[in-house]
Amino acid sequence: MQPNPSVPLQATGQDDDGLSALFDGELSDAQGAALIRRLSEDDRLGGRWSEYSVIGDALRGTAYSSGRFRARLRSALAQEPTLLAPVRRPVRSHPALWLSAAATVAAVTWMVLGAAPGDPTAVEFAARPADVNVSPYLAAHQDYAQALTANAEMRFMPVKLAIAETPR
Amino acid sequence: MSERDIDRQLVERVRQGDKRAFDLLVEKYWRRLIRLLSRMVRDPDDVQDIAQETFIKAYRALPQFRGDAAFYTWLYRIGVNTAKNYLVAKGKAMPTLSQQALPDEDDGVEERLAVQDVSTPESELLSKQVALAVNEAVENLPEELRTAITLREIEGLSYEEIANLMACPIGTVRSRIFRAREAIAAKLRPILGTSEDKRW
Repeated sequence: MQPNPSVPLQATGQDDDGLSALFDGELSDAQGAALIRRLSEDDRLGGRWSEYSVIGDALRGTAYSSGRFRARLRSALAQEPTLLAPVRRPVRSHPALWLSAAATVAAVTWMVLGAAPGDPTAVEFAARPADVNVSPYLAAHQDYAQALTANAEMRFMPVKLAIAETPR
Repeated sequence: MSERDIDRQLVERVRQGDKRAFDLLVEKYWRRLIRLLSRMVRDPDDVQDIAQETFIKAYRALPQFRGDAAFYTWLYRIGVNTAKNYLVAKGKAMPTLSQQALPDEDDGVEERLAVQDVSTPESELLSKQVALAVNEAVENLPEELRTAITLREIEGLSYEEIANLMACPIGTVRSRIFRAREAIAAKLRPILGTSEDKRW
């Protein structure tokens, strides 16, 4: 069979061949992950991705848009702040983390008195039961922890922290 | 790696600050979203407004996206709710499920109008040229490439299924689909004014 000159016989590069397979969800996890990383950085691959979308939609009878909608949306998205979601860190059972978690729980139970001066009564405050695992939450948000702030008018009253014993 | 895995990885990249990864998701799904919204809202300009609002909402809500549902399903839910709110604000009723399920004679017209930029005759002409170019390019493909791309894009078969149907290795299917796409893209580029090296 004579080769058709309008049809490329060889891939222009492994990435292009891989991109076509990625577009169809047919790449291995390892290859796909590597190509996805490159996809958002490489203009040529990004252009191919758009072309494959147009081709597929045209074959399925969806009309092509000259891009006014995409241009509008791009402009709107450009004004959105860049997302930076908290990094999910693996949670390990570690005594130091428990201690810091307990310390944080203890710290936030201090009662702040702004208006009633001179009442030295210690207040019993039931803390969270010891077997509740706050580690994942703290691990995810430790980069965003805000220190407690105070001004001169605030008075801190110490509280007696009672940790409920849960039967094992 | 399935399409769902690809979307999940792109979402993760967006959450790490890569806005271009969201652009890739938009490019993949915006026409499909508009097609669905056109079943609920008749005015094509309103459909585009709702679609834009849907994508903005989805972008802002990505930190909360857990991946339990497929990205497109999640996006579609946002789109439906946005369309509902829009219709309520305009004092209109949502189409009933039976109306949505039954195709009518005009099925696809609003969708086509919404996807097109109907404001100019030029954009309508461009849309027709693109459709013509793609169909002509497919017709001029060698039979095995035409079969492979058709089974993939229109019938939605996997490479394995296509390989079984065409009695060839999966690698051959992958190559045929890639070559078909390249041949079609080469015919499209002069019409779209794009080049091989540039992002759109």
